[in-house]
Amino acid sequence: MPSAAVAAPIVFPLIVAAVIAAFGLAGINLGRPAAAVGAWSAAAALLAAWLPIRSSLELVLGQLGYGSALDLRLDGVSFAFGLLIVVPAAVLLTLQPRPWADAAIALVGMAASVAAVEAGGVVLTAIAGGTAATVAVVLLDTEDPDAKRPSWGFLLAAWLALALVGVVLQVGGGTAVYSAVPVSAVTAPVFALLAAAAVLASCLLPWRSWPAQLWTRPSLRAAGITLATLFPLGFYLLVRAYELGDGRYPSAAFNIVLSVIGLAVALSAAARAQAVATRRELLAEVVPGLGGFALTAIALGTPLGLVTGIVLLAVASAFVACLALLPDRAGIESMVAIAAAVGLPPSVAFGARVLGIEATFEAGDFLGLIGVAGAITWAVWMVAGARAIGLPGGRGHPAAETFPIVAMSIALLTLIGGPALALFQAGFANPVAAEVMRSAAGTLGGGATSIATTSSLLPVVTLFTPLLVIAVAVYFATNTRAIRTQARPALFPIPSAPIAERIRIAFKNATVPDEYRTVFSLRELESAAARGNPIVWLVALVALGFAVTRY
Amino acid sequence: MPPEAIELLVIAAAALVFAVAFAPQAASRRTLLVRGGAGLAGSAAIAAVPTLDVALLVLLMLGVLHAAVAGTRSFATRLRPPVIAVGMLALGLLLVRVEAPDLVARFGAVGLVAGLAASIGLLPYLHPIEPDEALTASPVAWLGFIGPVLAVVVVVRAQGALPTDAGGAFGGMLVGLGLLNMAWGGVAAWLTADEVAAWRYSFVADWGLVLCGFGLTVADGQRGALLVLFSILAGRLPLYLISRQAIREKTTTRRPINLVVAAALAGSAPFVGFGARILLLRASTQIYWPLALVLAVVMLLWLPGSLRLGRSLGQPRRRQALGVALILAVNVAAGLYPLPLLAAARL
Amino acid sequence: MIQPAAGIVVWLGVSLVVVADGRRGQAVGIALSALGLAVLAFVTAGAVAAAAIAAGGAIAGARRFVSGPAGWEILSPGSTPRLVLCIVTALVAFWVADAVTSGPVASVRFAVITAITLSAARVLSTAEPAAQLSAVAVVAIGVASAGAIGSTDPAVWPYLAGGVVAAIVGWLPLRSPSAA
Repeated sequence: MPSAAVAAPIVFPLIVAAVIAAFGLAGINLGRPAAAVGAWSAAAALLAAWLPIRSSLELVLGQLGYGSALDLRLDGVSFAFGLLIVVPAAVLLTLQPRPWADAAIALVGMAASVAAVEAGGVVLTAIAGGTAATVAVVLLDTEDPDAKRPSWGFLLAAWLALALVGVVLQVGGGTAVYSAVPVSAVTAPVFALLAAAAVLASCLLPWRSWPAQLWTRPSLRAAGITLATLFPLGFYLLVRAYELGDGRYPSAAFNIVLSVIGLAVALSAAARAQAVATRRELLAEVVPGLGGFALTAIALGTPLGLVTGIVLLAVASAFVACLALLPDRAGIESMVAIAAAVGLPPSVAFGARVLGIEATFEAGDFLGLIGVAGAITWAVWMVAGARAIGLPGGRGHPAAETFPIVAMSIALLTLIGGPALALFQAGFANPVAAEVMRSAAGTLGGGATSIATTSSLLPVVTLFTPLLVIAVAVYFATNTRAIRTQARPALFPIPSAPIAERIRIAFKNATVPDEYRTVFSLRELESAAARGNPIVWLVALVALGFAVTRY
Repeated sequence: MPPEAIELLVIAAAALVFAVAFAPQAASRRTLLVRGGAGLAGSAAIAAVPTLDVALLVLLMLGVLHAAVAGTRSFATRLRPPVIAVGMLALGLLLVRVEAPDLVARFGAVGLVAGLAASIGLLPYLHPIEPDEALTASPVAWLGFIGPVLAVVVVVRAQGALPTDAGGAFGGMLVGLGLLNMAWGGVAAWLTADEVAAWRYSFVADWGLVLCGFGLTVADGQRGALLVLFSILAGRLPLYLISRQAIREKTTTRRPINLVVAAALAGSAPFVGFGARILLLRASTQIYWPLALVLAVVMLLWLPGSLRLGRSLGQPRRRQALGVALILAVNVAAGLYPLPLLAAARL
Repeated sequence: MIQPAAGIVVWLGVSLVVVADGRRGQAVGIALSALGLAVLAFVTAGAVAAAAIAAGGAIAGARRFVSGPAGWEILSPGSTPRLVLCIVTALVAFWVADAVTSGPVASVRFAVITAITLSAARVLSTAEPAAQLSAVAVVAIGVASAGAIGSTDPAVWPYLAGGVVAAIVGWLPLRSPSAA
């Protein structure tokens, strides 16, 4: 396989984006087919480059000018994350109509995101990830400048922090290439910065942030693309961090802290989900909820936890596509989506959560307690899902961009896909562990029908298939027309929302008394500095002279 | 002639051609060409002359010529900064050259740094600005056009003349002033009342990065400074020129192009500002890693001001829209692949 | 003896530029400064350098003699701070040139420091273009003369350039400020 194939998933969408833009400027809208070609060609390129050899393929094209070469690598990690990014984006670009400019920008963002996961070093990931973030913000603003979008400051801070990590590794370790960084260069402060960058990049925070807020936009076209291209990137950094540390984080404390953060994200999403007023609001918490569980699993530091986290991310990616295509109405489509999201057996989410909790118990010590908390969080999700039966659909989105059958199919796939969990994990997630946890990845086993853990064996096919049969039988045996739903009260109210709003209003309205005279007025300071007063210049010169004597 | 100066001259010439070709309707292209050409010739003379003394005399002449062109500020107001700059640079050079204790050479370094800041119009020697003044008569001509070549010449020649001890003080002062200008420029670009002043402060903030780069006496620092100077000449200055009409008409718009321009001005990836920031972080990590943390935090200050400046661009149409697209394309290309620029400057 | 005397002549000349508000006073000030600096240039850099300084100063002085506020206006009311500045600058420059720094041609150091410092102060303290341009001319020949410091064989280019700048600045057409 020629090494240039590594660049194909990045180049193809860019070429198509350029073609779309050129035709668009000439007044011809190439429409969904062109966007679909651009997106699916990236997916096809990924598969074509990886499947024949299933080992690392690298393309190095020379120095760029800031201590990094143009180094692209396709391995198990970049393949998995590449698909997590490309497939949902491709589904959305294929089905949802959008102006040619939006389609072109979306393809550029997708290409940048793929470049971030294919980059061979930290600095290049920072540049590509920063580009993806910039493009996502532009895409959201192009569609609707007044609707919610991610805080640009947060995104810029995240990728700047990652750039700083990269240069520290270059200076301290001689290189920032993932496969070549000396383990000793990844110190605790460096890792802390990397972890902070990862958390900010995907906004994995225990309060309502853009992964949930984007779902409240009047249109979900750009929101879906943004979540598909940006949300996985933070997780990618944490997975690559294992490779930097030769299979582990610099300290067990980082595993615990990140797992707790993930738990907090999942729990807060669950708490909000069980108190919502519409199904759309509940569904808005699905992706952050799954992300929280994924973070907890990935951060455990065990191969099982890592692969479980990857599976949960795959479910989250599927739901990005599903939720963007789902109409806001009460009906079977949203019910299936909710059932799959909350982890009803025998869904993939159910199996992954079971494995995740088992992984925490096997990790032992404090992490076992996290597993218990994770189980409680899952129970809250179940309550939220059950309550959602009686909720109204939501505000509604343009019918042209919703495809209920497709959305339901995606949700159904994850719902009935549980029996294939072992196969999916072996083919999709295990290569990730093999790449970043080389020494410990050998503990993963079980084959296509079961998943082996340290202390037990989960026979997914044997266990989940009968569950699936029973569930189908029960569904068809039940007269759903006789069911009358009603809205149930929330399990517990969320006091933080009105409190946060009150604090925000208090800050906004804060003033000083009229009698107050400030000794520090920015406006007067600016005026003094910009007036060209010779006295100021002389004083500055004297100050510099004084400073230099202290140097 | 320092190779960086030659490269910046070429870029400045390209910026002048761009300005003449894409200037908004109201601007007089002939005036731009004549005054810009004079500025370019002066910059070339500063770079070409054999000694820093002659360069100072060229700077003095340029300052007098600039003060003499028609503008809203008085001749006296516009003459003061370049004369003070030349005075401080000359005295600084004198103190560096004489036989004297090391402390005297340090004072000489003070004069050189202060003179450099005064000539370009940086804190604490900001040039007074009038919102209605023509671009060629305003302080932005120093900040965005003449300043880059001047700074390179002064720094390169000064670093050659300074003894080791004073050289360290020189670098330290550049970094200190750089941080001050970054912080002040970043906040002021966001909060100041007037759009023209906001643009001016955005230049000041970029110059803060340049001063830090020059002060960090490792190759990556010089590279980062060069990229920021490139972004000033080939990004910020042309965008400011295009925005002048919208500023005059007091129109602001919130279209995608405004956001993309804001991203370029803020130094987001994939624009050249991000690459410059990476190099500056590398340089500061090599010298003193806490400085890198401080720089990274201060770099975030660009964002709110840049959003404001992006909106002040208005909605460029036809020729201006093409101009903006060209600027952005050049900045993206330089941001993704800055090696040719650095190689041309032998950095 | 000639060099110290030349240094004092420079100081006298530039002080005159500082304390005089009329064109004749400023013209004589420019001429004296140029004379002193030309003598010093002759000693340190040769005849060509001296000629350049002298010519530049002469042209600048001649131009000032016929343009600007009429009369001498030396030590007009309100000029006491400027006079004090001239004296203080002389003392400080003497101290720096003779005690703090060492090497030959202390007079050149003294002359250059006073010329540049007082001229720059004059530019800062007045809004009258004629006075400012007179000071700029002195700055130019002062900067040119600084080339001799720290060099045993100073090049002639700075002197030529200084002379040219000093000669030209007085002839520039000045425009009043106007709205853009």
